[in-house]
This record gives sequence, C-alpha cells and structure tokens, in this order.
Amino acid sequence: MKYLDCFRFLAQRRTDQLVVTSAGNSGQAWWAATADTEASFYLDASMSLSTMFASGLAIALPQMRVWTFMGDGAFCMNPGALMVERDLDLPNLTHFLISNRRYGATGNAGLPNQQRNDYAAIARGMGLTRVFGFDNLAALESGFDTAVLTNAQCYTFVVLEVEPFTDAEQKLPHPPFEGPEIKLRFGRHIERVTKRNIFGYEFKGHHPA
Amino acid sequence: MNKRTEIARRIADEFASCGIRLVASLPDNWINPLIDLIGRDKRFTHVPVNREESAVGLCSGAFMGGTGSVALMGASGFMTLPYAITKINYTYEIPVFYVITLRGAVGDPNRHHVSNALYLRRVIDAIDMSCTIVDKPEEIPMVSRAYRHSRNFYRSSLVALTRDLLR
Repeated sequence: MKYLDCFRFLAQRRTDQLVVTSAGNSGQAWWAATADTEASFYLDASMSLSTMFASGLAIALPQMRVWTFMGDGAFCMNPGALMVERDLDLPNLTHFLISNRRYGATGNAGLPNQQRNDYAAIARGMGLTRVFGFDNLAALESGFDTAVLTNAQCYTFVVLEVEPFTDAEQKLPHPPFEGPEIKLRFGRHIERVTKRNIFGYEFKGHHPA
Repeated sequence: MNKRTEIARRIADEFASCGIRLVASLPDNWINPLIDLIGRDKRFTHVPVNREESAVGLCSGAFMGGTGSVALMGASGFMTLPYAITKINYTYEIPVFYVITLRGAVGDPNRHHVSNALYLRRVIDAIDMSCTIVDKPEEIPMVSRAYRHSRNFYRSSLVALTRDLLR
C-alpha cells in the first residue's frame, strides 16, 4: 500500500494515543497526515530506539495508550529490542513496523536480506502472540479495530507493508521543530492530560518571576 | 552481609532515595550483585535490555512520562553510546542518568580493558558528560546528588563506580 495512504488512515483512527515516530519517513508521513504538534514525539534519526523510547513512556504512563512507528531499516539495526518489548509485554503499547524494504531516510538504500525478511515470523519466534500484518489498505481498514483498538491484555506488534517513498515524497517537510521544542510541547501535553509533573515545576501560563 | 552485597544495597538505597523507579541494565561482573539486588527489589521496575542503546531509549521515554530512571552498565557498553546520547539526550535535552563501571582505571587487573584504560575518560570528556567518580563507600551519597543535579539542569550525567568500591 502507499505509505501516505496508510498513515492518513492511521491518523483518522487515532484518538488519544501518544505517538512516537522513527527516523525520516515515518516522521515526515505522520507530520503530513496530522500536523500534530502536541501528542506526537518526532524522534528523528535515533537509529532504532523509537520503540524503546515508547516502551519507557508506556511503563511510566500505564493509563495512556502509546503508538510507535519503527521503519524496517531501524529494525534491522536493533531487532533484539523486540525481545525486551516481549519481556515487558505492555498492553498499552502498539509497535507499528513500517516495512518498505528500504533505508527510507537515506534515499531508499536497500536493506540486507530485504526480500526474505519475514518480520511477523521473527516476532512470533521471539514469543509475541498479538502479531498482525497488513499489505493493502482494504485489509488494514477491515482488520484495524481487531488488531489495534481492542483492549488487548498484552503488547501488540503490527507489520505494515508499504511502498517506499517516491522521489517527490522524499521532499515532504520534516516537522519544523528543534529537539527541545518537541520535548516541551510533548511533555506539556502529557502534563495537561495526566496531571503528572514531567518537568519538575508547574507551568502556570506565565513566566516565573 | 559481605562487602559487595552491602555496597550494592547502599547504592540501591541511593537510587530509591532520589526517586529512581526504573532501572535499565546490562551486566558487568563488578555490578552484577547490584543488578541482582535491584531485580528483587520491589521499589524498582527492572528492565534487562538487549544492548546499551536500548537503555538510552527506554530511560529517555521514562523521563517524558515523569518516571525517574537510571541506565546501569559496564564501561565497554557505555563506550558504544556516544551517538545515542548526543542524538537523543543532547538534541532533545532529555536528561538520562548513567551509572557505569570505571573499567581500565588503576587497579583493574584485566588487560583486555586496555581500550577503556586509554579512551573511556577521554570519550566522557569529549561529549561533555558530567562525571562523578565514586571510589569509596563514604562517597556513595554522591549517587543521588549527581542524579538530582542532572534533573535540576536537564542534562545527562554519569557516575562511574571504581573497582576499589565494588570488589
């Protein structure tokens, strides 16, 4: 399926989930689909750490649902993270593996073993039980609620097979924020929604004296 | 209680006293008693991770959720981290607290840690990481002070535990 069509669908179905994006294309696509400046953390070029970041968030906020995107390029760099995710088995975390068989953020360079990698089988081999895969939009639309919106009692792993970005899509804008602004916008959103104190002092809408 | 167990207990108490609730760890012989203790301690959520970068990601996410954490690992593991630290901790100004072993320092009999002997301190300096060395039992309270300093200034910091302290 088309990468952007897939992300537009995910954006339509999202309600209150916190979102953590992976390097490059997923950040661009999520920004194109949502322009979200509050409840999404655009974790740029972390080279495989988006799902671990999301896991820490999900541990800290068990009352919140967390979605995280990881490209299969990032997954190739750190597949063992899935073992940690399985151990944690966080029911409020959904890991979307965005499989375009490319290092999308670096000009669609090919992945090792790209045609043979079976990500769902790898996940099952690590003991994951809620594993889903969608390779076309119609299937995603019909299966999404069962896979993602059910109140599952365990962690969920979803493989989304998408086409690599076109040359034109590679030029989609990245979220126009520097790191500290992303941190503060996201953290303030969490503070508002959860009433947790993230930054160690209360924001009262004015600069402290 | 032998010395290693007592030191481990005191460090765990320091973690708890400053609000650390999540511990991401990778093994090192010098800190394995501490890791074992934390794994049994109900004050902590202990997450044994697959590699050191995963600890960076996990602790960074925990910070954004308002949970105190520490990434606990050996020196060699820390040496794999400059990209993850500079990319996540520095770019986004997300403070993560690292506790490592000071492998390769004077007193370490393991010749295979020559790379740490030559470069660990230089790498820590090169990335401008605040570093506190804890060498004696009476210095253990510096662990929680270094953590609080990290949170106060929104910068990552590191405590390095010596062989004389741990063995």
